[in-house]
Amino acid sequence: MSFTIQKVSAHAAVVRIGKALDFRNAAQFKSTCQNHIRAGVRHFVLDYSGTGILDSTGLGAVFSMYRQLTPLGGQVVFASVSRPVQVVVQLTRTYKVFRQFPSVESALQQINGSANASATPSSGSAGSA
Amino acid sequence: MTSASFPPSRSTLHRFTDLDSVIDEVHGLFSHWQEAGTFEPPMSSFMLEVVKLAVHEWVANLVQHAQFGGTAPEIALSMWPGADRLRCTIEDNSQGFDLQRQLTLQTLHLTGQKPPERGRGLLMVMACTNDLSYTTTSEGRQRLEFWIDGADDDLCMTVPF
Repeated sequence: MSFTIQKVSAHAAVVRIGKALDFRNAAQFKSTCQNHIRAGVRHFVLDYSGTGILDSTGLGAVFSMYRQLTPLGGQVVFASVSRPVQVVVQLTRTYKVFRQFPSVESALQQINGSANASATPSSGSAGSA
Repeated sequence: MTSASFPPSRSTLHRFTDLDSVIDEVHGLFSHWQEAGTFEPPMSSFMLEVVKLAVHEWVANLVQHAQFGGTAPEIALSMWPGADRLRCTIEDNSQGFDLQRQLTLQTLHLTGQKPPERGRGLLMVMACTNDLSYTTTSEGRQRLEFWIDGADDDLCMTVPF
């Protein structure tokens, strides 16, 4: 396992992927993320700085998270995408699904902005909780 | 085109025997090639990443599914870079499998109502390579051979996730 998860708020977490997300650690990645989803995390920033390997199994696990979170109003975004990961993203056209940010900080700003926007009266969801 | 078209001095050949470490060894090898500028003519970083992905997916498939029938595993990776194309072969001493059947099964599964999380590796290999063949050599080894075209900078896969 090379990834680590840091919860940065009640609903958001940063996953530092590390060297690889592939067939060797994809099951553990999925299981760990699911535990956080069960605990209420809805927004995941995947930090790919320094990641040398993202293979079909690893990408499959990321899509599994995406499918689980979308009906819950959550999201998965990519940050600091390394060259090897960028090639996979380009080849598989997954840039159409996962927004990319130059840094974890800019991704978190967007997530916080979305969370604040959805909590304003103009969004129509205020007071629903 | 046959391998006789490529002077042996321009090729690289590496053998791997430990399935537990082969993935790290393969990636270490690519990192070394990239840093050392091993290939002449130089390969674009895009071409190198595409061939690395194809090799990774194939070797990962071997690690997870290949039957070696009690013999010590051996995987041999060879590459012949050209001006705008690269030829790659991966030979192994496993019992092999029916590639076309597996590709058909993977495609069928993906077009089902609930696509599986896994089972796209071979389709990804097919999507990012050209002129791929999978044969058994006269010595009984399994041999994958493919080309990567350096001009395919806008290469896209249609493998659904």
